[in-house]
Amino acid sequence: MSTTLFRTIQPNHFTLLTTALLRTRTKTSRHISVRCQTSTTTQQPRTSAPKNHGSNKLDEILKDYEAVIGIETHVQLSTSTKAFCSCPNSYGSHPNTSICPVCMGLPGALPVLSSKVVDFGVRLGLALNCSLSLKSKFDRKQYFYPDLPKGYQISQFDVPIASGGYVDVDIPLEFGGGHRRFGITRVHMEEDAGKLLHSDAGDYSQAMIVDLNRAGVPLLEIVSEPDMRSGVEAAEYGSEMQRIVRYLGVSNGNMQEGSLRCDVNISIRPIGQAEFGTKVEIKNLNAFSAMSRAIDYEITRQALLYNQGQADKIVTETRLWDEGAQKTVTMRKKEGLADYRYFPEPDLPEVILTQEYVDSIRASLPELPEAKRRRYEAMGLGIQDVLFLANDVSVAEYFDEVIGKGADVKSAANWLMSDIAAYLKNEELSISDVKLTPHELAELIAAIKDETISGKIGKQILFELLAKGGTVQGMIKEKDLITDPVEIEKVIMKVISESPKQLEQYRSGKTKLQGFFAGQVMKMSKGKANPALLNKILLEKLNAKE
Amino acid sequence: MATRALLAVVTASPPRMIQIKASTFSSSLKFQRHITTLARSFSSDTNPSVLQPPDVSRLAETARISLTPSEIEECGAKIRQVIDWFGQLQQVDVSSVEPAIRAEMEGGNLREDAPETFENRESIRASIPSFDEVYLKVPKVLNKE
Repeated sequence: MSTTLFRTIQPNHFTLLTTALLRTRTKTSRHISVRCQTSTTTQQPRTSAPKNHGSNKLDEILKDYEAVIGIETHVQLSTSTKAFCSCPNSYGSHPNTSICPVCMGLPGALPVLSSKVVDFGVRLGLALNCSLSLKSKFDRKQYFYPDLPKGYQISQFDVPIASGGYVDVDIPLEFGGGHRRFGITRVHMEEDAGKLLHSDAGDYSQAMIVDLNRAGVPLLEIVSEPDMRSGVEAAEYGSEMQRIVRYLGVSNGNMQEGSLRCDVNISIRPIGQAEFGTKVEIKNLNAFSAMSRAIDYEITRQALLYNQGQADKIVTETRLWDEGAQKTVTMRKKEGLADYRYFPEPDLPEVILTQEYVDSIRASLPELPEAKRRRYEAMGLGIQDVLFLANDVSVAEYFDEVIGKGADVKSAANWLMSDIAAYLKNEELSISDVKLTPHELAELIAAIKDETISGKIGKQILFELLAKGGTVQGMIKEKDLITDPVEIEKVIMKVISESPKQLEQYRSGKTKLQGFFAGQVMKMSKGKANPALLNKILLEKLNAKE
Repeated sequence: MATRALLAVVTASPPRMIQIKASTFSSSLKFQRHITTLARSFSSDTNPSVLQPPDVSRLAETARISLTPSEIEECGAKIRQVIDWFGQLQQVDVSSVEPAIRAEMEGGNLREDAPETFENRESIRASIPSFDEVYLKVPKVLNKE
């Protein structure tokens, strides 16, 4: 066994940059506040406190206190194998079937890193605008827990694969809108632990049960700078992380499944104070909305204690979000910080990246959400449309295909956001399941635009195509639309003859009545008349006589 | 046992404040220099005779090894000796040497992302005394370390 003489830093990796803060609550950390200032000056200047869920109480609090929020995100990678062995990485397998001596930590087994994990790590690091460490290493984070077979987790402590990045987000309009930039401290590779569950065997033996299928599954941990100032900003940061990992295809980013986990670190301080307050960690957040509510609750809780002169009751601890009670509750407090006794993993070599490798990955990155949003905005779409279309990568791809075929941008956006979105919601489908192809949607938009069919008919055709597929041309034929001018003229003459009074009014100047006649013709023809022809011939007839 | 205890000692040295410069991390080269600064703050350290004596009972607890009071005393002395012996390395002047992340020269050795089922999973499960058909049974845990 190699004995590596290496004086390790005692606190865990997250506290590396904030060691000073945690030790003594009142000590000013000039380094960190300089960093924060640098990051906030690149943001939009704030004229008022960040908007929240309309809670007046919270707005009052935010007049006196500023919340400082950082988020740690764990992303489970969608690789085919675990990080350090070839066991299958598939969600939902029968417990304890995806195991081998390596991930079980049996004596003599050695870990071997998967190339895919490095690929995904570089991909995500680049997408988050980080600098990559061309040389990085793994470390052992040592602690005892029943779901951790080896008694340590292989992670990256002081030389992560990526660091010093940022992410740009758009705050939803209902919360004030605007752009924000949040810093990313680091991204590193590590392995997941197994699952510890309560046994519902009904025996009172005080036992718990463990499934080790998940032990060794690769994770990327993203640590943000403490740049968020409200629940809304934190939730948007979380959503953007989810969007990015889905766009990249490195993870399915499912909070419910556990493939995306966010832990929040939050402290508050009186406005104007340079020192940070005591930091509290919140875990057990299953949705971005829960994250936002948990943060709002915690800000309120901490502010109350400050106001009552009991700020010292705020201690460094981990609290759990209780979704039922809608509050944070303290976990059992432990004295002091965790001592993980990090040291370099002797069983794994350095991770070495060449510049060519990094460049080739950079070249293969898809258009990321931020770039898409800016491009859609430049096309003239409103921010509401932009946020909707860029939210889901499949929807954005569909939209891009439709306009790629020359369809009008605004019409395409409208169809997708209203009727198609409603259909998908009702039928619980995703855009990839729908039978209407982008090509046909483009056709439909064109047909309405050049007045081959009316908007109303267009809608009918849309629904049929969504459900059954087919072509626009085919539908038009099927609907037996009237495109013969002679036929249309007949109907027009009939309508005119049946409405002498309106004809009088039209002839004496009320030209707006053309719409009335057009409507009548449509009604009589059961909507089948070609609108362009209709209007052309109608106008002729109305203006002709006399 | 001795090497394990030594590892425990070495990795659980008394806490130190780490001065983090507000480096901009704008290039990996700058970050490497930052690591150099970090590493130097460890290596160009106090001289060996001023090294803290090991807190053996705390070490034993973190390693989950139970020791009797007389064993603690005995171990303490032996561990002290080993540390002082290694401590001689502190006398070497390495201020002009670029710190290495690891000792070996070769990196790489990566695995393809191709799943393989381990043949003998049954014997792994069978070797776990508390394995109960589907799950491993473990004592109820109240708190992470």
